[in-house]
Amino acid sequence: MNAKNNSCPMQNENAEILLSYCARTLEPEQVIQVEKHLLGCAECREWAAGQQAVWAAMDTWEPEPISADFDAALFARIAATEQPSAWERWTAPVRQFLQGGFGWRPMLSAGAVALTLVIALSIENPFRKEPPVGQSVKLEAHEIEQAERALEDLEMLRQLEAPEEETSL
Amino acid sequence: MIAVATIEHDAELMLRVREGDSQSFALLLAKHRAPVIHFLYRMIQNQAVAEELAQEVFLRVYRSRASYEPTAKFTTWLFRIASHVALNHIRDGKHERNQESLDQDSDEGMSRQVASTGPTVEQQMLREARFEEIRRTIQLLPAKQRAAVLMHKYEEMEYAQIAAALECSESAVKSSLFRAYETLRAKLAHMNR
Repeated sequence: MNAKNNSCPMQNENAEILLSYCARTLEPEQVIQVEKHLLGCAECREWAAGQQAVWAAMDTWEPEPISADFDAALFARIAATEQPSAWERWTAPVRQFLQGGFGWRPMLSAGAVALTLVIALSIENPFRKEPPVGQSVKLEAHEIEQAERALEDLEMLRQLEAPEEETSL
Repeated sequence: MIAVATIEHDAELMLRVREGDSQSFALLLAKHRAPVIHFLYRMIQNQAVAEELAQEVFLRVYRSRASYEPTAKFTTWLFRIASHVALNHIRDGKHERNQESLDQDSDEGMSRQVASTGPTVEQQMLREARFEEIRRTIQLLPAKQRAAVLMHKYEEMEYAQIAAALECSESAVKSSLFRAYETLRAKLAHMNR
């Protein structure tokens, strides 16, 4: 009911009542009131007749019969979804083990101990192999030589740059 | 009063399902199977697909048993699931393919019926033609309007229930229904005059 364009206030403001009248869901007192109105309002009479015709046409649309195996198929689907998945089946022993008396608290304690050991070993590792003494002396001498060469190179560069600065001034 | 008792009974059954009582689920299914399938059939207009979708609806009901709270009427909750399933099916475009097969089926059905009946051939043809017109006119309605009309007309649901099922306001439902009935009146009113 695009009631806004209609002139009758019944269709504009009380369209819901008119629709309920056609659906036969009104209280008897309201039915009497609507029927009184319809007697004097051709516009609403026309509207109601059209709506009742639609209603009657829709009543003729009967649904199809439902398959006899509908319930059986549904319960089979429910049973299939209730089955554990492959992942759940594979992890079931672990989950059972965890649930069966071996809780999370002992696991956390064991994890903390393991972490402490790893940190302690990385700081003070008794198994770490130190390089031989002679090899470390050789390494130190090589590093000093490299540093001296670098200083010499810097000095040479400074000397090369010096005349240019003088000319520019 | 009867309605209130029925609602409470459905919610109670669902709460029993939540507790693991499969007999209560069977009772709910027996009661609501037909309304749900008929609603989906009229939405989708294909019986096989409607039954498949109805299975999805009841499967969702069963899966949701643990989180079920009787905050709304059971039928409202059930039709909210059914509307979701139907609208998603239509949105995903599966509907058009079903419609093509339905057209083939209905043509076959018509010729089958015409051939099998003797004196009422004309009546049968007229009835088929009228049914086809109703079916096609309702099919032309936008999906949400169609759902609102079907719940209003065939399930006799109140505006508030339809609004809750379609997750929109009551005024939106009224406006949607009035627009839908206006379309239907324009196309179907001649049929019963």
